[in-house]
Amino acid sequence: MEKKLAVDNLKISFRTSNGKVQAVRNVSFDLYKGETLAIVGESGSGKSVTSRAILGILANNAIVESGKIVYDGQDLLKIDEESFHKIRGDKIAMIFQDPMSSLNPIMRVGKQLTEAMLLKNKARRRESRKTFNKYAAVLLQNMNEATALGKSKASVEENKKLIHDFNKFEIRHIHLEADYNVCREACRNAIAAIEDLLFEIEKNAVSNLVVSCNEIAGYAVHTIGKFVVEDLSFREEIKQFKRDYHAAAKKKDYSVVRKDLEAMLKRLSEAFAKEQPNFFGLGFYLEFVGKEIPDMPISELNAYTHKILDEKFMLHFIEVARIALENSALKSFDAKKQAIEVLKQYLPVFEKEQLDRKEGENAIKQMNAAVRLTIDPLVLLKDSRSYIFESSMKSGLEKYFRQIQKNESEVKRFEKQSQKRAALVAKGKEPDWQLIPADVIDLEVLRAELTDTVKELISSYEQSVNCGFQSIKEETVVQVVDFLKEKASGAVYRVTKDMAKTKALALMKEVGIPDVRKRFRQYPFEFSGGMRQRIVIAIALSADPDILICDEPTTALDVTIQAQILELINKIKAQRDLSVIFITHDLGVVANMADKIAVMYAGKIVESGTADDVFYDPRHPYTWALLSSMPDLDTNEKLEAIPGTPPNMIYPPKGDAFAERNKYAMQIDFEMQPPMFTISETHSAATWLLHPDAPKVQPPKIVTERIERMKRAGGEQNG
Amino acid sequence: MDNREEREVLLKVEHLCQYFKSGSFELKAVDDVSFDIKKGEVFGLVGESGCGKTTTGRSIIKLYNATSGNVFFKGRRICAGLRSYKEELKAERKKLRSPDADKEAIEARIAALKEEIKKAKKDQKDCDKMYKEARVHELTEERDQKLSSASESEKEAITAEYAEKIKRAKRENLVTKIQMIFQDPIASLNPRMTVREIVSEGLIIQGEKDKKYIQDEVYKVLELVSLVPEHADRYPHEFSGGQRQRIGIARSIIMKPDLIIADEPVSALDVSIQAQVINLLNDLRSQLGLTILFIAHDLSVVKYFSDRIGVMYFGKMVELASSDELFKHPLHPYTRSLLSAIPLPDPHYEKKRKRITYNPLAEHDYSQEQPTFREVCPGHFVRCNTAEFERYQEMLKNE
Repeated sequence: MEKKLAVDNLKISFRTSNGKVQAVRNVSFDLYKGETLAIVGESGSGKSVTSRAILGILANNAIVESGKIVYDGQDLLKIDEESFHKIRGDKIAMIFQDPMSSLNPIMRVGKQLTEAMLLKNKARRRESRKTFNKYAAVLLQNMNEATALGKSKASVEENKKLIHDFNKFEIRHIHLEADYNVCREACRNAIAAIEDLLFEIEKNAVSNLVVSCNEIAGYAVHTIGKFVVEDLSFREEIKQFKRDYHAAAKKKDYSVVRKDLEAMLKRLSEAFAKEQPNFFGLGFYLEFVGKEIPDMPISELNAYTHKILDEKFMLHFIEVARIALENSALKSFDAKKQAIEVLKQYLPVFEKEQLDRKEGENAIKQMNAAVRLTIDPLVLLKDSRSYIFESSMKSGLEKYFRQIQKNESEVKRFEKQSQKRAALVAKGKEPDWQLIPADVIDLEVLRAELTDTVKELISSYEQSVNCGFQSIKEETVVQVVDFLKEKASGAVYRVTKDMAKTKALALMKEVGIPDVRKRFRQYPFEFSGGMRQRIVIAIALSADPDILICDEPTTALDVTIQAQILELINKIKAQRDLSVIFITHDLGVVANMADKIAVMYAGKIVESGTADDVFYDPRHPYTWALLSSMPDLDTNEKLEAIPGTPPNMIYPPKGDAFAERNKYAMQIDFEMQPPMFTISETHSAATWLLHPDAPKVQPPKIVTERIERMKRAGGEQNG
Repeated sequence: MDNREEREVLLKVEHLCQYFKSGSFELKAVDDVSFDIKKGEVFGLVGESGCGKTTTGRSIIKLYNATSGNVFFKGRRICAGLRSYKEELKAERKKLRSPDADKEAIEARIAALKEEIKKAKKDQKDCDKMYKEARVHELTEERDQKLSSASESEKEAITAEYAEKIKRAKRENLVTKIQMIFQDPIASLNPRMTVREIVSEGLIIQGEKDKKYIQDEVYKVLELVSLVPEHADRYPHEFSGGQRQRIGIARSIIMKPDLIIADEPVSALDVSIQAQVINLLNDLRSQLGLTILFIAHDLSVVKYFSDRIGVMYFGKMVELASSDELFKHPLHPYTRSLLSAIPLPDPHYEKKRKRITYNPLAEHDYSQEQPTFREVCPGHFVRCNTAEFERYQEMLKNE
């Protein structure tokens, strides 16, 4: 499975007027594609802080002390706000706990759904146009260079024309496809609405015939178009249908309407089942060959236009583009050889014991100039190391010099404080404050980070140089064409208010909101809790994210609605192959959702494993306590509540944070933090009870009995 | 639990309706709900949000004026809605206009109805006053009886004792014997009052002036809910969620109620804290002999805690049975869908669990006959029409 997100050794604290609250302490986990990770813990255990750090929306007083959050090869804790805009909401979306406070109370729900789509589209159009132009320009330049070198037979004018033509018919293709999609979408909606109404008529429970029929007629009119409902007599039919249902509404006789609806349903279903034409080829045909679409069945048409496209344009274009790509790649290959020399030359600057600021900055400048040249602008899969080389070196250097001063002041403060304490103790008083140890970071580590960055780059370059130069294959060119196609379509793909509305309505339907057209115009306060949460989910999904973070999405909802929302999230996850991080305090909720579970307490993961591991073989006393404090349908004995409250994280306990509330606590729990003991490949827990020397302890009776019962039930069902 | 039949009925709700007007539209929040709660029992009320559970609780405690229907508490009518009488009156008067009507019978009926309305109005308004009078009367009689048989020396002590008791009885209201615990422990406590003020407020409003008595009572209830007397002078924000809910509970039990309406007391709490509060309520129930109307949407908690459960759907009670019976033989399709939605901490079970969806249109055919609330087997009521009634009985026999 593909790893989507990796959190490594994350440590976050908050500055407050009372001191530093350590909210998250050394949390690490991985999230794979299509997987659900549940983070379970009490309020204040740092679950939400972790998720907020992933989205980069921590409060102002938060300090990220160490750690990495790697998404898509980038460390989310290091990238700037500008690049975060492309990830937040677009790639990683979040559903918040309270749907009321995450919706704007004075905007209609529809507007809130479409607003982001419209704004995103505007930005994407601009960005796609820019990328396309830039890429096309580089490609053209390389083509011309190849021509000059005599590698390519095409002339400079010819090159220019090729790029221009590509752009032109690509735009034509997008317009054709957009028109088609509108019709098809209307067709799908009409079918669904007709089926609903037919069901109502059958059950003798028609609530408002005219409104439903109006809706159907509205959809049906839009289905008339090329490749969908091509017969124009359908318009007459719809008019007849309108007359019929107005008459039926007066007479309360639905038989005529029913017949009309069935006929319409048949026709639309047929239209919907039709094959989809290849608009890319068609766009080329209409732009350069004929004015009219040739009259032939769709499969033949597809083959025909494809052939023309290949013959007249594509094969030639691919050949020329291939030569251009090869030219560019060769340049980068040569640059890499030189860059290795330069990097090696300046590496000793950072290996000295005392770094010199001026010398360091100069070295970075020289190295960066060489590294820049190695970047091949025509390669689609970008090597982020070369791109972020300069910024990471600069910030590393800056951090090094800042830490020199910081270390000094920390040492001074610590000396002063310990003197004060010693004086108090000498007087025979017991001070009620704790001595905070000096926060000194080893400069050697920071320096090693710098040299490592350079060394890493050198080794990656050496690797590619050792492999030798590889000529460009045709598939790579096809990828480039696809990329250009995508960017060109992005540049002209204008989301109108109507389209945004259609998409929003579809999303609202997807998340299970009935009567969407009416709901679209309502304000959030007119929705019930479950419906509001659905709207929030729809908004989160509107940008097609990769990762969905759900922060207690069902805590404010009741059982049936909770089950619906959980099912909805599960369904959407399966449909879109999303990775989900699910945060909750209720273990019962996660059993159905989670593939992996991490139990958090006082900012640390105390137990992690697959759902089966945690539910059938829990090892940490805190997990036992969580399991035993919730009743299920067969519980009759007294519940075992967890006594007390979580510790104050300004002064985190020296030993295990859970020791004070733990009836299985041993002496060592108060003195030393337990390490993570591995139980199986997937399962690990941080408790001294797992140490080989620890006494054997049985989980509470209520837990063991329940597991026994569950296993028995599972066995019965399986056998 | 066998002796439940003999136990005294503490609260009886008859055809309670609570409508809210918004413009010309009338929202039927609670529509024709009937049930009774026996002394010492926990009655659970479940249903999805917006189905009228909370409104039922609030109507019982007279936070709203019931639209129609009656609520009897300790055998006295405390709520009486007028709507049903008025509607009948209107219908009768209409009948009067038709020429071939039996005028005398109708007029007699109208007079009876008018009398009913008058009585209902009086009950609604003066139930507390009447209760006080009755209590005082009761105590006076008891005192006189004791006085007649007591010797001369004891008489003075008895008189003094009863004088005190009668003084308190004069202040006692019937409705304050019902107390409520609210859902959100943060919103329901006044942030500018100390715990002592919050807990003792009810006593002071009732007219209690004895400072020593108030203090003793406050410390006593704080101890009952496992807080310590030192907590009395703190403010609510200094407590954790579970402790705040304990303060809410202390505030209600200081009035020595007979019935507590617990309106989702654990929904806003963390799972680990929920257990603390449930255990506390369970202890109090056995210690003080409380009767509890437990409103919640978390079915596993309700099952664990209640003796009998009523299921509500869109303002109507659809099923009522003892909790074991309800979970063993759910009859109404809505109850089944509710039960199928409970999440359990068991991944294998969860992967297999199929939620049943409830679609009233597809489930019932009420075009011929409207459903009513019927007893399918002893103690198990379901809202159904005749066809369904027979089907349900068949189902029970087969199981």
